[in-house]
Amino acid sequence: MSIKASLRNVANVLLDWDDLHNQDFCSWRGVFCDNSSFSVLSLNLSNLNLGGEISPAIGDLRNLLSVELSDNLLNGDIPFSISKLKQLEFLNLKNNQLTGPIPSTLTQIPNLKTLNLSNLNLGGEISPAIGDLRNLLSVELSDNLLNGDIPFSISKLKQLEFLNLKNNQLTGPIPSTLTQIPNLKTLDLARNQLMGDIPRLLYWNEVLQYLGLRGNALTGTLSPDMCQLTGLWYFDVRGNNLIGTIPDSIGNCTSFEILDISYNQITGEIPFNIGFLQVATLSLQGNRLTGRIPEVIGLMQALAVLDLSENQLVGPIPPILGNLSYTGKLYLHGNKLTGPIPPELGNMSKLSYLQLNDNKLIGQIPAELGKLEQLFELNLANNELEGPIPSNISSCTALNQFNVHGNRLNGSIPLGFRNLESLTYLNLSGNCLDGPVPAEFVNLRSIQIIDMSFNNLSGSIPPEIGQLQNIVSLILNNNNLCGEIPEQLTNCFSLATLNVSYNNLSGIVPPMRNFSRFSADSFIGNPLLCGNWLGSICGPYMPK
Amino acid sequence: VIFSSRRRLGLGSSPPTCRSKCGRCSPCKPVHVAIHPGMATPLEYYPEAWRCQCKNKLYMP
Repeated sequence: MSIKASLRNVANVLLDWDDLHNQDFCSWRGVFCDNSSFSVLSLNLSNLNLGGEISPAIGDLRNLLSVELSDNLLNGDIPFSISKLKQLEFLNLKNNQLTGPIPSTLTQIPNLKTLNLSNLNLGGEISPAIGDLRNLLSVELSDNLLNGDIPFSISKLKQLEFLNLKNNQLTGPIPSTLTQIPNLKTLDLARNQLMGDIPRLLYWNEVLQYLGLRGNALTGTLSPDMCQLTGLWYFDVRGNNLIGTIPDSIGNCTSFEILDISYNQITGEIPFNIGFLQVATLSLQGNRLTGRIPEVIGLMQALAVLDLSENQLVGPIPPILGNLSYTGKLYLHGNKLTGPIPPELGNMSKLSYLQLNDNKLIGQIPAELGKLEQLFELNLANNELEGPIPSNISSCTALNQFNVHGNRLNGSIPLGFRNLESLTYLNLSGNCLDGPVPAEFVNLRSIQIIDMSFNNLSGSIPPEIGQLQNIVSLILNNNNLCGEIPEQLTNCFSLATLNVSYNNLSGIVPPMRNFSRFSADSFIGNPLLCGNWLGSICGPYMPK
Repeated sequence: VIFSSRRRLGLGSSPPTCRSKCGRCSPCKPVHVAIHPGMATPLEYYPEAWRCQCKNKLYMP
């Protein structure tokens, strides 16, 4: 009952924990007893919205094998008395609001096999005494505020299979002795402040399956013998300070399903041997890779995600990439790629993200891209593309974002765009497009942002735009639009940004509703437009 | 003996066939599954791997 007394919010869920039934505690919710001795073996009160603290009285339940109080609202420290539970094998307190350090006495529970203290607010260091818990199989201390170094003594945990310390503030090196843990299957140290090299010894481990090191400050190079981890399927060193090249031996890493070395400072070319990999995700973005995209990547049909963006790759996009008929995400943006967009990319029938922006691509947008029925985002901005926007693009009915900003596209806006009912973002700005703003845009029911600035668009702004109830931004500046600003635009209640400056608009700026938000900057550069600003042909209005 | 197509050596790769990978459940089809590497920021996508799916259950290829 003293355990209950320290908890809050127990009225309903622990109704049967009462003094009347005190002799019958084995029938209480979450309490499980030994059949003969009636001693409490297990306490499971997870996911019951319990508040308050864990009572030190828990230490009196000397025969407990398992304590599970996860997914509640518990606060306060973990009581030191927990060390009195000499039989305890399983301790799971994850997803609470517990504070303070990991109790130093925890290391006096010799039989502990599973320790899960993840997603609490624990601070302080991991005690070197953790090495005394020789029976530990699984340690999860992720998502806390733990600092200090990872103690070398952790390598004394010879039974350990699962070690997850991600999302803390741990510093210092990855202990080289970790590789002395013979059965470690999962090592996740992501998002800490670890420094130094990835210990080479790690690569000798044949049982390791998951290596998560992303978001640290690790230095050094990728070891040529990384592929000796023959059981490893997840290799993630994203966001560190690794240098050097991708080793030629990478082709031996045939057990890898995910290879993520993105956002480091890797140099050199993508080796041909990469074609031997069986990976589903190949993330090399945000490095300093040079040379061409190897054609052999077009044979890697198991690729679900191919990200080579933000490097210094040159040469053309190999047309053979069109063979990647199971790939959903292709990112090649932010390189120095030249030549045309291969029409073969239209064969990538599973493609949902295609980003080729910020390169030096030339030629026309291939009409074949219209075959990409699952395409969600198409970004071709900041290239040197010319010719018209192919009307076939309107067959990409799943399209949510379409961006061709900063090219040399000409011709008029295809009327077929009215079919893109899922479109939320449309950016045609900075091209040489002419013709009218199509009234058919009224069909773009989901549209939030339209940017068609810096083109040669003519005609008037269609009043139908006023029916777009989700539009937040309408950017039409620096065109040749004429006529009046349709009063219907004042019906777009969500419209927060309007820019029709530097056109040939005339008439009066509607002085009502949402238009009261817009400053003169939205309208200047239209000599015949009358509005409430200095320099306008009829303004500013004088207060009466 | 069932040979997995994933383990063939040589250049190039293909998605798993998922033949007999879902126990007695059918149909058993390869799907992309996002692997969650902890708290990712919205700007990061999750790495994806292949798994075999039958109804709502996933199986290793």
